[in-house]
Amino acid sequence: MDFYGSDERGLIKLDPRTKFFIFLASGIMTFRSYSDVGTALYSVLLCIIFALCGKPIQALKASLLLGLVLFFRVVLQNSQGAPEVIVLLITALTTVFMFGFPTVMSLLLIVKTTRISQFLSAFQAMHFPVKVIIPIAVFFRFLPTVTDEWNGVRKAMAFRGISLRPVQIILNPWKTIEYILIPMLFSSMAVMEELASATMARGMDVDIKRTSYEQVKFGITDLVMVILLIGAIIFTTILGNSVKGGTVL
Amino acid sequence: MAKKEITAASEGKAKKLGTKDLIFAGAFGAIYIVLMLMVVMSCGVIPILYVSTPFLVGIVCATVYELCILKVRKFGAALILGILFAITTSSAYLPGLILAIVVAVLAEIVILMGKYRSKKMFLLSYVVFNLNMVCPFTNLYFNRESFIAMATEYYSKEYADGVAKLANGALPVLQILLAVSGAAIGLLIASKLIKKHFEKAGIV
Repeated sequence: MDFYGSDERGLIKLDPRTKFFIFLASGIMTFRSYSDVGTALYSVLLCIIFALCGKPIQALKASLLLGLVLFFRVVLQNSQGAPEVIVLLITALTTVFMFGFPTVMSLLLIVKTTRISQFLSAFQAMHFPVKVIIPIAVFFRFLPTVTDEWNGVRKAMAFRGISLRPVQIILNPWKTIEYILIPMLFSSMAVMEELASATMARGMDVDIKRTSYEQVKFGITDLVMVILLIGAIIFTTILGNSVKGGTVL
Repeated sequence: MAKKEITAASEGKAKKLGTKDLIFAGAFGAIYIVLMLMVVMSCGVIPILYVSTPFLVGIVCATVYELCILKVRKFGAALILGILFAITTSSAYLPGLILAIVVAVLAEIVILMGKYRSKKMFLLSYVVFNLNMVCPFTNLYFNRESFIAMATEYYSKEYADGVAKLANGALPVLQILLAVSGAAIGLLIASKLIKKHFEKAGIV
């Protein structure tokens, strides 16, 4: 079950709550950090965490991509004589990448290295009501499914000669919405029905305290990680605001 | 636990939100967020398109939202969708987060006024719901200087100037109008598509 995530081969095992905190921290960091270097360092940190949690190959791929984009960006910004328009466009594109990278990376961390049962038992240990936990757990469980369905629909449409290139999307947007959205919704809804039946079969709708095979503990690695992140957040929010647009990390 | 659902049940004919409905809401939330992120990521490059994302997201995501609330038809579907949206998009800025949740509650109230039967109210609630696309931009309204500083550092002087020129006092009003009109167009498409595909298939 590589598709829905596990951390069995990981060097460290993080608590799902810590991963959730990393996700929230990424949001704050991307909005509060005012420098390339800070965001890049944070992104590298996320890649390292991802590798330690048992996904070294994907982490390596992501960090190589990050390095390539950063290299391109720095080279282009310091080059002389390049056309203004291209510099502007590439800067904007790489910025969108850098801005989205921490958020996407921390979402991947949750999705790829957490089993749903770990997620459920961790949040149940915090005495969250089931009505709060289930939608969030299903949300994270469903993210890979949506991308999977999306790929399936794209391949099916390519097979029938309907291309999903940007030009086509701009030329007839209504058709594109119908051709992509409707098959995707239909197949996702079939998955939802199955998921609901599976959940019912496991007795999730009974309102009693559940036991779990998963041992979820908030250990020393989690503590170190949370302290590190809180430190980083305080550092960026205070220093980043006092030196507006400066080169402080 | 969950007293809200019980009050809803006593007011309308709606029953309590079951586990199955919670699963549907969470899963539709995932679809909604993925679609929205795709639109925003592909539009973020150009300032004027970035500012008008409420319009584009309204058009694309209306079908998903309508399908979700029509499938569940109980108190809470729009609220869960709105909270998931708020956590993923606006969690970096507290006023934006609160505003996004308030908008979701308002959308839920609109559906409640239709007693979970009226089709018009289902449709109308999306016009309210789509206002949450404005909430991530609250950072730009209330915190303008630091946002511009960030844009200058991240993008370039030109991009920051572009955003600064757009972000004057009229921007919130403009974005709300864009969100409403985007939602209206999206609803037109959504009601057509739902009638054409999903009602025929007997899903809603």
